[in-house]
Amino acid sequence: MDGNKNNSILNRRISRRSFLGVTKAAAVGGIVAAGVIGGFSGYLAGTSAAPPTTITHEVTRTITTPAIKKLKVGYIYVGPVGDYGWSYGHDRGRRWADEKFGVNQVESTYIESVPEAEVAGAITSLVEKGCSLIITTSFGFMDGTAEAAGKYPDRYFVHISGYRSGAAGNAPENMSAAFAEFYQLYYLNGLAAGAVTETGVVGYVGAYPIPEVVRHINAFVLGANYAYKKRTGKNIKAHVSWIFEWVAPEKARSAAIALVEEKNCDVLAFTEDTPAVLQVAEEYQKKGRKVWSFSHYSDMREYGPTAHLTGQIANWGPIYLDFYRMVATNSWQTVDIWARIGDYIPYRWRLPPEKSTAGKPEGTVYLAPLNPVIPSEWQLEIKKRYEEMKELIFEPFSVEGNLGEPIRDQSGEVRIKSGERADHDILWNMDWHVEYIEEPLPR
Amino acid sequence: MSIQWVEQVLQLTVQMGTVYLLASLGEIYAERSGVLNLGLEGMMIMGAATSFIFSIAYGHLPAIFIAAVVGALMGFILSILAVDMKLNQVIVGLALTLLGIGLSGFFTFPEIRKNILLKLNPSLPEEMLLTQQAEKLPEIPIPLFSNIPILGKMLFSHNVLVYFSLIFSILMWFILFKTRIGLTIRSVGENPSMADSLGVNVYMVRRATTIISGAFASLAGAYFFIGFHPFWREGVTAGRGFIALALVILATWSPLRAILGAYLFGGVETFQYRLQLFGLGAQSPYFLAMLPYIMTIITLIIISTESIKKKIGAPASLGIPYSREE
Repeated sequence: MDGNKNNSILNRRISRRSFLGVTKAAAVGGIVAAGVIGGFSGYLAGTSAAPPTTITHEVTRTITTPAIKKLKVGYIYVGPVGDYGWSYGHDRGRRWADEKFGVNQVESTYIESVPEAEVAGAITSLVEKGCSLIITTSFGFMDGTAEAAGKYPDRYFVHISGYRSGAAGNAPENMSAAFAEFYQLYYLNGLAAGAVTETGVVGYVGAYPIPEVVRHINAFVLGANYAYKKRTGKNIKAHVSWIFEWVAPEKARSAAIALVEEKNCDVLAFTEDTPAVLQVAEEYQKKGRKVWSFSHYSDMREYGPTAHLTGQIANWGPIYLDFYRMVATNSWQTVDIWARIGDYIPYRWRLPPEKSTAGKPEGTVYLAPLNPVIPSEWQLEIKKRYEEMKELIFEPFSVEGNLGEPIRDQSGEVRIKSGERADHDILWNMDWHVEYIEEPLPR
Repeated sequence: MSIQWVEQVLQLTVQMGTVYLLASLGEIYAERSGVLNLGLEGMMIMGAATSFIFSIAYGHLPAIFIAAVVGALMGFILSILAVDMKLNQVIVGLALTLLGIGLSGFFTFPEIRKNILLKLNPSLPEEMLLTQQAEKLPEIPIPLFSNIPILGKMLFSHNVLVYFSLIFSILMWFILFKTRIGLTIRSVGENPSMADSLGVNVYMVRRATTIISGAFASLAGAYFFIGFHPFWREGVTAGRGFIALALVILATWSPLRAILGAYLFGGVETFQYRLQLFGLGAQSPYFLAMLPYIMTIITLIIISTESIKKKIGAPASLGIPYSREE
């Protein structure tokens, strides 16, 4: 397994380089590159060979397990898996699902750094490899995946972060859609932010002004306002700085510093795939200024041991495992899943706040550990809301999430009235900022 | 707009601009001698990757030194291809850029990085093998000078690589324009056959400047990683090598003007996010994000116009391999 992985890395690196053969000049470059890479990878691959115990293990398995056909699963990632961000998270989910399903009963492969226009070719190659389940993990892969689902009716397809599926009626029956949704957790982050802020100003470093990010910002600000207003009677002030990138730590750094210095924000939430904003908060803490931030997608505590308040973490594994089981047992059903708090956890009933599992890994989306600087009454409040959301009793986008007040946008228009709660379409299409945010939403 | 605000913006501007300054210093020498180093981005990212791995294994100073050596090696490869083999400098340079991006991603791939780190320093704890961050270079404010209003924060409250970049831009300007060595370099870039007939070893000069440009580009990458934001991701330099290339033109091949240009670009990047918070950028953030590239295009237009090129003093034989006519 290890050896294979290293080989595939080697192949990838060299094939990227294959364009070098174009001219004499480039040919020399190619030879140099291949020599260096070949030499080093051979050297390094040698050191990471699987331990010999694996062989014994496999032998025992084949004797005890009845002959089940190995499930073949193919993944398509938009970015490199060596990265900290999005694709890395999916690859971690893949490994989690493989392990739970049984590494001897599933053979999963992945193709990384696939440009969105080239998804069709990547799917075809996985089909030719014999994959019966193909999972594509970027929004831009959606239409290509739906087309492939029509072309290969005997295979199963799962698309992440889109809206086309057999269940929704806009794709063939052998295609499902899935997503790990964070807005509830952002609301809980907001509660933590409102509970600790001293300046009454919170900031948000946003990736792109698309509904998903806007929804997360609004949820965060609503939560912050809830806690801050309950504490002080005043409204929270919130500022948003956009970086127009998903992965750009250096830009997130500049944006975070601007929020702290220009607007005196002391809690920073973000949508950017690296811990950059948390690192900035930690630097301020070291200099004696209290600035707080969060985890995003992974547990990022090591990047800001002091500044880390809590955060949102995703484990895609349970979603994938579910699809593995469907395909392996021939019980496919097309679905459109938004995994939220409570999904894929063994015991879905709410617990009393003192026994809450908030801050512990469970299900697909869960809360990062809570920093003890959050006052204990607010820790209890966060836990109470977390538990209520397991049963979907509490909805952040409702008047209960806003201290009984209707939720207004920046122009003062009421978006969510008393007695209402946000439904799928309101959440999915959200293109307005809540009133507490000072900057207009770029359009 | 308080004085602290001005000080802080200028300090951040210098922090950002130093990336461009370091990279452009070496490039100015290479281009002054007639070699176009389009591999700047690749050398920069190799410097970032090297500083990432070696600062975890051995600490900051060895990491900076090794980064410079790695960059010099890449410069050496370029000199063999572009100076000795007289290959097309644009193609060779771009090939080296892609080589650098690919190699840096390869060496920093988690499992491979872990093995490299274990080979370099077997006593490293597990979390150091997996982390994607490194210790940031400490800021060393210079006593007395750092208390000067505005200038103190702007120029004298930084890490060692910022000071290095400032000292070297003055030093390299002096060598280039006030010494015999500088005259030799410039003559090789203007009229290599004339220089050759006067007994100058054209190939040797060009090899040396190309190696220097590699070392400086790599230092820029090392600064960007451990000196600016120490978090690794594949493709971390994100095209900043190309901005440095444009900067060389903007600075009309002068190390002193490069300081101004570098801080101009650094200032644009710093201001981008602040303007948004005053309601200025938020409606048209794409325009601000485009600015560095618009500048690049404008400068490229300027130099492709022959008359302007002459007027602003681009090296006459820039990008043209030199072959001695036997």
